[in-house]
Amino acid sequence: MSALIEIDHLTRRFGGLLAVDDVSTAVAPGELVGLIGPNGAGKTTLFNLISGFTPPTSGTVRFKGEAIRGLKPHQIAGRGLSRTFQNLRIFPNMSVFDNVSVGAVGAMGQSALGAVFGGRRRSDAITARTFEALERVGLTAQAHELAANLSYGRRKYLEIARALAMKPDLLILDEPAAGLDDSETAELARFIRTLNGEGLAIMLVEHDMNLVMGICSRVVVLASGRKIADAAPAEVRADPAVLEAYLGVEA
Amino acid sequence: MSEIRRLIRPVPILLALVIFVAVPLGLAQFGKGYFFQIANLVLIFALLAASLHLVAGVAGLLHLGHAAFYGIGAYVAALLGTELKLGFLWGLPAGGLAAAVLALIVALPTMRLVSIYFAVATLAIGQMIHTVLLNWVSLTKGPNGVLLFSGIKLFGWAAKTPVAIYFVVAVVVAASIFAIHRLGHSYYGNALRSLREDDQCADAMGIDTVRLKIEVFTLSAFFAGIAGALWAYTTGYVSPTDFNFSNSILVLAMVVVGGLGSLPGAIIGAFLLILLPEVLRGFGDVRNVLVGLVMFFSILFLPKGLFGEVSALTFVRRHFGRSQNRVPGGEVGW
Repeated sequence: MSALIEIDHLTRRFGGLLAVDDVSTAVAPGELVGLIGPNGAGKTTLFNLISGFTPPTSGTVRFKGEAIRGLKPHQIAGRGLSRTFQNLRIFPNMSVFDNVSVGAVGAMGQSALGAVFGGRRRSDAITARTFEALERVGLTAQAHELAANLSYGRRKYLEIARALAMKPDLLILDEPAAGLDDSETAELARFIRTLNGEGLAIMLVEHDMNLVMGICSRVVVLASGRKIADAAPAEVRADPAVLEAYLGVEA
Repeated sequence: MSEIRRLIRPVPILLALVIFVAVPLGLAQFGKGYFFQIANLVLIFALLAASLHLVAGVAGLLHLGHAAFYGIGAYVAALLGTELKLGFLWGLPAGGLAAAVLALIVALPTMRLVSIYFAVATLAIGQMIHTVLLNWVSLTKGPNGVLLFSGIKLFGWAAKTPVAIYFVVAVVVAASIFAIHRLGHSYYGNALRSLREDDQCADAMGIDTVRLKIEVFTLSAFFAGIAGALWAYTTGYVSPTDFNFSNSILVLAMVVVGGLGSLPGAIIGAFLLILLPEVLRGFGDVRNVLVGLVMFFSILFLPKGLFGEVSALTFVRRHFGRSQNRVPGGEVGW
């Protein structure tokens, strides 16, 4: 089984700080991988390295067999890698529908000339894909509402719908459960499982250990930028190095 | 969306009736050339405001040099007419294309700039173009301006009466604004809006943000150039003062008063800010103060303008704020 994404000796230095230090791992097609670690462990930086927002200091990333180092975020996104953001970034002054349509346009494209002179078939396809993604997260009824008017929990799903409208091969979720209560987190966990069950590979950064341990088939643990564990949830839970990193005790 | 569309269907038809039937009939009653000139001016500035709306309102770029591209269109049309004896049918598209080409050239290095740096760069570009128009005397006749006597001729038909000239202007402006409407109300327009809302996030959605900014800047300049060519042919005279910084600000004010992100808003803003000084003519010089007060209070009490999608205050705050808050290297979070 060849990997969907291969991260190979990836390092990122900010001044004197090694935010990501020689991390290697891989995600297979259809896999659901969790990424955990204490605050400042470099989880988000690793995601930014993969999605092209931050250039790596050294190391390589291969996505579907192609080296994507040095590509711009939109080029990487165009190859089938879609992400959400840690602090929930939606387009507040646009409708829910228009928000999600941006993901579909990003993947399918519409030119200025196409916008002025017809292009009905293309725009119908974008409309269909947008509604499909809205349907997926249950936001069809609110399609014409302003995104800013949605509740916090609904906005999380809006952001995911926008990412899904790109029809990605790999979905990266950066702390999707942050700010959600227990029942909302449980609902989100079921949703992520369903997405994964349909064959979508997902990488999930999360503080909520129960969420990660409950749904991920494999968990990667970062501490101070280094990978300290990469195994099944049960193994990771019992790993002395992980316990030390989280609880600060010698096991 | 289809419901909303059905509701606004009658509006364009009504608008077309007003522009192509009611206004010319009404003005023909008065029969004064002066009223037709005001009507042409309103239409030309409606197109200018609509074209700036695309850059500032939809794509959210603070563009402070728009009048310069308007000027390029006017000068190219006027000089083609006087120096090369090429008529309206050449001058109109050439004015638009020249402005677009120049915009493309300056956009290539500028569009990577963010927020306030971009605004200052467009200010500088506007001033540079204005200075060139003013000082390249051998070509532009400098402050004396260029007189264009040829008038509008289309395939052997000459638009001689004020009504005929008005109709030509109205047709060109209506077609251009329709194109701008299509650009804004499409998925392409949604991609432009995503630049205004959060361009890093748009990047992660597969949108080539830099390319899109260059495109919209160029398209907007094209329509400004068309407006300039119309100006040259309706007034028969172009001079650098018509294309200076205060005109850029005037057009920006039209967009803001009407509401950032709204095409009808930009057009109504143009109507207001052209007609208001004319209506207030009885007040003498105080009228400029009155116009200023109208703009001031409209921002104070209607931060979203008449129909805007975005608050002007948020817009400005974001432009001034982001240059300071941006994380070095453009990282997203930590």
